Amino acid sequence: MKLRYALAGMMLASAAMIGHSASAADLIAIITPSHDNPFFKAEAEGAEAKAKELGYDVISLVHDDDANKQSELIDTAIARGAKAIILDNAGADATVASVKKAKEAGIPSFLIDREINATGVALAQIVSNNYQGAQLGAQEFIKLMGEKGNYVELVGKESDTNAGIRSKGYHDVIDEYPDLKLVSRQSANWSQPEAYTKMETILQANPNIKGVISGNDTMAMGAEAALKAAGRSDVIVVGFDGSNDVRDSIKQGGIKATVLQPAYREAQLAVEQADAYIKTKTPPKTEKQLMDCVLINASNADKLETFALKP
Amino acid sequence: MRWVGFAAAIVAGLLLTSCRLIATADVTALANASAPNGAGGFDPDKMVASIWSTKVVPYIEKKAGPFVEVRDVAAKSPDEAGAKYGYRAKSEDTPWTLMVKLDGVIIAADTESRASTISVDASGQGKADAIVQIGPAMRGTAIRDALDFVSFNDFTNQIDFARYGKAFNTYVNHATLEKLSRDALVGRKVTVLGAYPLVSPAETPLVTPVEISIGPKS
Repeated sequence: MKLRYALAGMMLASAAMIGHSASAADLIAIITPSHDNPFFKAEAEGAEAKAKELGYDVISLVHDDDANKQSELIDTAIARGAKAIILDNAGADATVASVKKAKEAGIPSFLIDREINATGVALAQIVSNNYQGAQLGAQEFIKLMGEKGNYVELVGKESDTNAGIRSKGYHDVIDEYPDLKLVSRQSANWSQPEAYTKMETILQANPNIKGVISGNDTMAMGAEAALKAAGRSDVIVVGFDGSNDVRDSIKQGGIKATVLQPAYREAQLAVEQADAYIKTKTPPKTEKQLMDCVLINASNADKLETFALKP
Repeated sequence: MRWVGFAAAIVAGLLLTSCRLIATADVTALANASAPNGAGGFDPDKMVASIWSTKVVPYIEKKAGPFVEVRDVAAKSPDEAGAKYGYRAKSEDTPWTLMVKLDGVIIAADTESRASTISVDASGQGKADAIVQIGPAMRGTAIRDALDFVSFNDFTNQIDFARYGKAFNTYVNHATLEKLSRDALVGRKVTVLGAYPLVSPAETPLVTPVEISIGPKS
């Protein structure tokens, strides 16, 4: 303990000595949901790598989809004197106050992946074009289903706009096919274990299903595992995210398709925009920015690595 | 022309409201529909109807280039084609949406699917240069994405922005596509004013029409 204080004292002293030199690293705070989901891990790592490359110190924190915890982490970022916050938030409504608090403390927020239901509070909201991506996933699903059969939809966490928008994108396409029948639609809150147990229950009530369309990859993995355990590898599963886990499943003939969100690039872009703002006070041209998604199936799964397509 | 569009919008509105059994409340909501950021009363169909003939069609008519020319420029330089005939929201990795006047002959038609399409030969070489969506179901948001006066920033969230995008497809479907004959399309001449996202120059463009007319057999 004493040693830590002593070290801290030395660091403070050296920081004071370096004073205003450009290399006295500014701090960027990166706050995301739990890294249990590789998607959030990848975006946190993408942001961290870019921030370090640009010469920043980084603190990387997780809010576990708990808005109260997120509020505390924003306090931490403010107290630590962060120059910018890169945030994948814990709820479209619940987050607005936290981001406002940071703004009032003079710290700009750059949101990735998930939107908030307000503009003019964050400097950027960089999100995947989930509607476009979901339409791609749904078209592939229809093709795989042969335009008919019973299917199940697993939906994400309700407080997250991405759950609703992907579901809308799916249904705007699938509902045009009257021979595709939705027999169960349930939220598994983006969670792999929850999707596993939900899928087990759904399968008992609806043994004659032909496909499962999932709002993200972790739920797709959970559903696929439950189907496999029940000896139902014939059921078609389609996910959304483009994780390495699902890539590997596709290559082994498990899950049939997913939709890649350019998560790694989104996180890096947010840091680049934060850097531009810190250095020149230039905010991004538009706050809300969409980045298009790409369909991943057996034909291109080989090129997928950590939420990016290799050229 | 404007009157026809307006009438179609009203019909569309009635169709939408009649299946919800709360027609009175919905009619009030329709009447109160205002700015996109208003929490209540967001009515994308009405918003589209109010700008269709005054802003959308004139803008696309002005910006569109002859299809073959646009496609050939895009094959060489997407950015050059985009700057001249297209638009994209100013963030990287957003594809250009290009606007075209397509004249050609229908060489194939898929009218079985709800998402019907026609394949159009525009260069006289007997192969499909473009695929045109003729509804009733249409994919994507090409019309919305072509408009330089529309910004995602002005919408509460992706869901509203998606509903707005879909409202353009609904509008063109009611105003034009529903009235098209679906019989014996192959061999007929077709003229389309429309837009398509430049996903990859190697892919056959999927054009969403703004105006379309189908003539006699060529």
